Amino acid sequence: MPTERYYKTLLTLAIIGLVIGFWGVFQAMWFGKGATDLGSYVPWGLWVAVYLFFLGLTAGAFLITILTYVFRVKIFAPIGPLSAFTVLVAISCEVIIISFDLGHFFRAYRFLLSPGWYSMIFWMVVFTNAMILIYLLECYFLLREDLVKWSQEEGRPARGLYRFLSFGKTGFTEADREADHRRVRFLSILSLPVGLIFYGINGAIFAILLNRPLWNGALTPLLFIVTALLSGGALITFLTYIFKADDELVHYLGHVVRFLLVVFLFLQLLQFFVGYRTGLPITKASLDIIVFGPYWWVFWIVHLLIGSAIPLYLLAVHHQNAKVVAWACFLIIITFIAVRLNFVIPDQAVYKLEGLEATFYHHRLRTTEYFPNLTEWLVSLWVFSLGLLAFLLGSRWLPVISAGKGEAKHV
Amino acid sequence: MSKDLPQEDLLVRMQRDLKRALNKKPQDIRWGMVIDLAKCIGCHACTISCVAENKLPPGVVYRVVLEEEVGHYPSVRRRFTPRPCVHCQNPPCTKVCPVTATWKTEQGAVIVDYNRCIGCRYCLVACPYAARTSDFGEWYTADTPEEPGTLFGRQAARDGYELRPAAEYGQQWPNRAKGSSPMGNARKCHFCLHRLKVGMLPACVTSCVGRATIFGDRTDPQSLVFENMGSPRIFRLKEELGTQPSVSYLK
Repeated sequence: MPTERYYKTLLTLAIIGLVIGFWGVFQAMWFGKGATDLGSYVPWGLWVAVYLFFLGLTAGAFLITILTYVFRVKIFAPIGPLSAFTVLVAISCEVIIISFDLGHFFRAYRFLLSPGWYSMIFWMVVFTNAMILIYLLECYFLLREDLVKWSQEEGRPARGLYRFLSFGKTGFTEADREADHRRVRFLSILSLPVGLIFYGINGAIFAILLNRPLWNGALTPLLFIVTALLSGGALITFLTYIFKADDELVHYLGHVVRFLLVVFLFLQLLQFFVGYRTGLPITKASLDIIVFGPYWWVFWIVHLLIGSAIPLYLLAVHHQNAKVVAWACFLIIITFIAVRLNFVIPDQAVYKLEGLEATFYHHRLRTTEYFPNLTEWLVSLWVFSLGLLAFLLGSRWLPVISAGKGEAKHV
Repeated sequence: MSKDLPQEDLLVRMQRDLKRALNKKPQDIRWGMVIDLAKCIGCHACTISCVAENKLPPGVVYRVVLEEEVGHYPSVRRRFTPRPCVHCQNPPCTKVCPVTATWKTEQGAVIVDYNRCIGCRYCLVACPYAARTSDFGEWYTADTPEEPGTLFGRQAARDGYELRPAAEYGQQWPNRAKGSSPMGNARKCHFCLHRLKVGMLPACVTSCVGRATIFGDRTDPQSLVFENMGSPRIFRLKEELGTQPSVSYLK
């Protein structure tokens, strides 16, 4: 469990981030998309990359609950409540950041009134809601016993909150416990197909687009599933180290993350190999932007060196050392935004038609000139801070750690 | 017959074609356009007339003229390719809309319902021709100084042009001062449906000084557009994608 000093430091950072980031939120609300550096040829930028970053973080709980309740790996059971709570925070941040990206957010009700059945974004919304529902219920059933217990403890702060969350329940019998675990098992099994489709559909949003050099292809949805599991798994490993200090658990999780990192790098290698060897000018141009473009260091230094090579070395050589494994996972998480940026932007940063760059000059009709402006960074900071605040408060005021005790015998 | 003898202006013929088309049942019309690249002189008049017709703000353009330099010195020339929305008959942009705010009409024009669009810009990403632009709510007069009480200055300039409603889709768009649609929306060429409705050719067609843009009902065998579509010089942009554009080109 983090010390009070860490907790207060992180809480202060989250509040400072919310205050500073609010300026960007105000700009985005007041001036709309005009406050961003986006254009018509690069219409998706930093916010979509941050959305995909959070999408990946949600996969941690997916990975843990599947391993625990579908594959019956008992060792992961104690972190079930923590991972289910993490997914709720990450998915909320995901929904908030993508809402900022909409030109007319208040028309979101249109998803219900005039759904586009053929649109991958429509299905993304459907499956996002399904995931929220599944993990909200799963989190609740995992925490319920402790919530009821806490609501009955004399002198416990915020008892009213726990009484409210217990919905009037004052005692918890063995039968209740069994019933809740049956529900959790059912929800976990349900989350397997729903989660795979959810991550796959997010990949399909990009994969089905004609004439997109890097996105278009069957590899993209698979890449999305693997990247989500990798970044989500790394997050859960890091959190397990911080909150549980269970070396054996971190050790096992480290193996899973190392395996996923190797698979991800292999898929990425395939993407680059096939792209370069096919030699289509548009594909080559996109890959060149990643490898040799103005932000080459994002790929070589941030992603490959700090986010892949160093963690891989640490996970392979020092896999017995829980602290090193946790920090290797931390490196993977913080550099993962580079992976997302390199996925979203270079594909759009090539002109689709020859001659388009030489006509009708306007800064919204350029490709390589896009760089997220202050508003985009501040809004992202605000959402990250909000997520951190929610996580810190949740881990302090909800039984996400204590509820995991003794969970293994129910798997 | 000698080419020097007086000939009927192509606009007059297209106007006649249009009247004939409008007498048909709406569901029997299929609008089409043919652009003769040999006649295009790269004057960009079509771009400007489209911007003026639809009161397009900065950064929004429906019809650009692509410019390329081809060949090597001394055999070098510039190639101009006007590119409106090509109004695909198998449009990738409409299928991706999560709220069905864009669709292909029965007459083959791909249009947007501004009041339904949520501004996710998926259609912009999906269009292989980069024919859609997003309205980021910019103003030509953003940096114009205010001169209250005079005929000049920001407000006067806005009143004189930018705040005049556009007539797209036969409605009065928009009050930009309030930030309402089409600000925040995806926008695109709509074959000037509001003009067609009252028997006028699209703005890009009437403004083309080289008469390079031919428009009409492509199912009418008497029409100029039908005639041109039979030319051996015909081709369509990115035909290999299977989008089946309604806009064709003559090499």
